[in-house]
Amino acid sequence: MRHQKSVALVALTAFTVLLLASPASASEESVGSCIAEELAEVGVEHFEEIEHEVASGDASEAATTELEAIEKKFESCVEAPSPIIPEANEIIWGGAAFLVLFGLMAWKLFPAVKDGMDARADKIRDDLAAADKAKADALAEQATYTAKLGDAKAEAAEIIDDAREQANLVRADLQSRAEADIAETRRQAAAEVETTKAQAMNDLRGEVSDIALGAAELVIGTQLDRAAHASLIDDYIDQVGSRS
Amino acid sequence: MTSELVNGYGEALVAVAKAEGAGPEVEDQLFTVARAVEKSEELQTTLADSAIPASRRQQIVEDLLEAQASPITSALISMVVAANRGGELSSILDAAVAKGAQSRGQSVAEVRSAVPLTEEQIQRLTAALNKATGKNLTIKTVVDEGVIGGIVTTIDDEVIDGSVRHRVTKLREAF
Repeated sequence: MRHQKSVALVALTAFTVLLLASPASASEESVGSCIAEELAEVGVEHFEEIEHEVASGDASEAATTELEAIEKKFESCVEAPSPIIPEANEIIWGGAAFLVLFGLMAWKLFPAVKDGMDARADKIRDDLAAADKAKADALAEQATYTAKLGDAKAEAAEIIDDAREQANLVRADLQSRAEADIAETRRQAAAEVETTKAQAMNDLRGEVSDIALGAAELVIGTQLDRAAHASLIDDYIDQVGSRS
Repeated sequence: MTSELVNGYGEALVAVAKAEGAGPEVEDQLFTVARAVEKSEELQTTLADSAIPASRRQQIVEDLLEAQASPITSALISMVVAANRGGELSSILDAAVAKGAQSRGQSVAEVRSAVPLTEEQIQRLTAALNKATGKNLTIKTVVDEGVIGGIVTTIDDEVIDGSVRHRVTKLREAF
């Protein structure tokens, strides 16, 4: 960590120096030297003379044309460099700084960054593996809970079915008992009716026979004369005498 | 009352009757009185009522039998009543009749009929019963209008029923 910090500080310092120093000096030297070179080529005094003539309106056409040409050259010096193609010195300084920085980075920073990235990747990989494992565990737990829930639901359904079946059996049993009781009650009632009817018929028959036989007794008793009594007695004696 | 006690009184009455030289007519009279007592619930109650003095109950018996039974018969029955056995009088008299017959080697046959039997009928019936049962029987007749017609004979526990009443009863059962 300490090693990584020192490498990063060196790289940042070099980068700052190159970034601030090189482009500034290059840009300032380029515009100044260009204008100075153009003034030196034209001559400062000549330039001031032509400029004075043009400003006063006494200048010839040739002087005016010459001044416009000089001003064009100056303007060409003031024009910004190409946004695409840098200046040669910038390429040199930039390339050197790049090489130095790249060397430093390749020497110290890249391995450290690579180690850090590897460690981070390993950590992420471990975290992902742990997350996958946790997810798998959670899924397994969920599957277990789902299975248990399914078992519980199945068991509950089985209990409900058993209870319903038991209730149906009890209801059927009670219904059959009630029907049996009703049938037995009806049978007993019918039997009682038949018994009562038979008893009534027997009583009636008995009363009728009692009345009839009572009347017959009276008739027999009053109509049995001495001869009839004697005949009955003689018959009895004969029957007893015939017994052995 | 136990049968042993009834038989004891019966034997006593027979012994007294023999001692008094009583004939078979006394047995017949004892049998007749026994049937009369059986038929009269009021007489049974009166003779069994210990609240009535024994002398009063004896007097009732003697008054009832005065014109219809011999003095020996009356005395024997009065003796039973005086011993406070009026409630068992008919059983004791039957036992005495049975013991008297046994003393002569006979068994008693109670014959019930709606009309009195003639002497000839009694003799024929006696012969027929002796033949049928193999016993030497003495006949004790009872006139019972409930019989309607015919005869009912009872020898110990055996009943030979040839009465019209029995036939009517069987006819009623058949109905």
